[in-house]
Amino acid sequence: MRPRSLLALFLIPMGLIIAAVPQNTTRPYKLTAEELLAEANTRTQFVTPEVVADMIIKKDPSLRLIDVRSQDEFEKYSLPGAINIPYADLLSDEHTDILNQDVFMNVFYSNGTLTANEAWMLTRQLGYENNYVLEGGLNYWFDTILNPEKPSDSSSDEEFAKYDFRKSAGMALGGGNVIMPSQEQSAPSTKPAVKAASKKKKAAGGC
Amino acid sequence: MGPLAVNEIISENTNLLLAFIIGIGFGFVLEQSGFSSSRKLAGVFYGYDTVVLKVFFTAAITAMLGLLFFSLFGWIDLDLVYVNPTYLTSAIVGGIIMGVGFIMGGYCPGTSFCGASIGKIDAMVFVGGLFIGVIIFGAGYGIWEKMYMAKFLGFPKVSTALGLSDGIFALILIIVALGMFWVAEWAEKKFPKAEY
Repeated sequence: MRPRSLLALFLIPMGLIIAAVPQNTTRPYKLTAEELLAEANTRTQFVTPEVVADMIIKKDPSLRLIDVRSQDEFEKYSLPGAINIPYADLLSDEHTDILNQDVFMNVFYSNGTLTANEAWMLTRQLGYENNYVLEGGLNYWFDTILNPEKPSDSSSDEEFAKYDFRKSAGMALGGGNVIMPSQEQSAPSTKPAVKAASKKKKAAGGC
Repeated sequence: MGPLAVNEIISENTNLLLAFIIGIGFGFVLEQSGFSSSRKLAGVFYGYDTVVLKVFFTAAITAMLGLLFFSLFGWIDLDLVYVNPTYLTSAIVGGIIMGVGFIMGGYCPGTSFCGASIGKIDAMVFVGGLFIGVIIFGAGYGIWEKMYMAKFLGFPKVSTALGLSDGIFALILIIVALGMFWVAEWAEKKFPKAEY
């Protein structure tokens, strides 16, 4: 038999096999448990309420708040502009474009930190980037932004500056002494358009 | 598991050592297969000898199938494999310069070193020209920079650009390659050349 026929006899079946099998089935999780633990330990996924409040007031277009609580809780109260992805639905296909992208800074929040942080861990382990967690969740948000505690007279200037910021941010965001103001009206109800996740940059090597 | 260096299974230095050993093997095989002859290489363009085309296409297909099967078995994470960035303008301009040099000189950069290492004068001249080109490019970088960096398309793969899965594209490429081998051998019969 001629070499070309031999080659064809070998290569075409191999090509058929590789065309028939699904790709990327071998490693759905992009980060190993050790890598994730190391990253979680740096605690860089947390953003403070002050940073988030500042971004909301300045209408920073890159901020996208994601409420991971249930829909009921979301409808009762949510942060301005937040969208709702209940924790239970986190991994459904319709949310992939929102969670796996490199345009927005996604900030998960729940009542405390726990659920939001779990959402961050799951998405991070899938290799998604640009997802963060609101430090302390909504409870801490109320304590710091909406009802900030006046520092004692002996506190440092820094404490007072922080308090002043929180106070003004709280007022801008409908705080003061009113708890649970209805903020939904100001929140755009439609999801912002999501650009399809672009290909991530590869690890550099050489040829 | 793989890529070995990216996943830090082997160090960067071991990686370079392996590249060195593989490079020597590559050069040796090139030389032994007659690729240090400029006539053989130029033969592709005139149709009388298409071994180069067949060898390099077979190598590409073998490597492609190997990577896809390795990925299937979980031995390598293709997302971590380096893909060359595409700068469209410089790819086209560079391709033309390389192609013209290939026909004129009868060597590509790798085979010119093969030829030079066994003492072929034309290969040495070619290597000299290669360095002159490197110096012109390096010294005049400011002049070329704009063109060099123009039309950056990211790190695309042909399969993604065509909207096909890697596997389907591989199958198509295999069939195309086998078709090309057939045309190449037809050309060899059509444009024969006396033994050299």
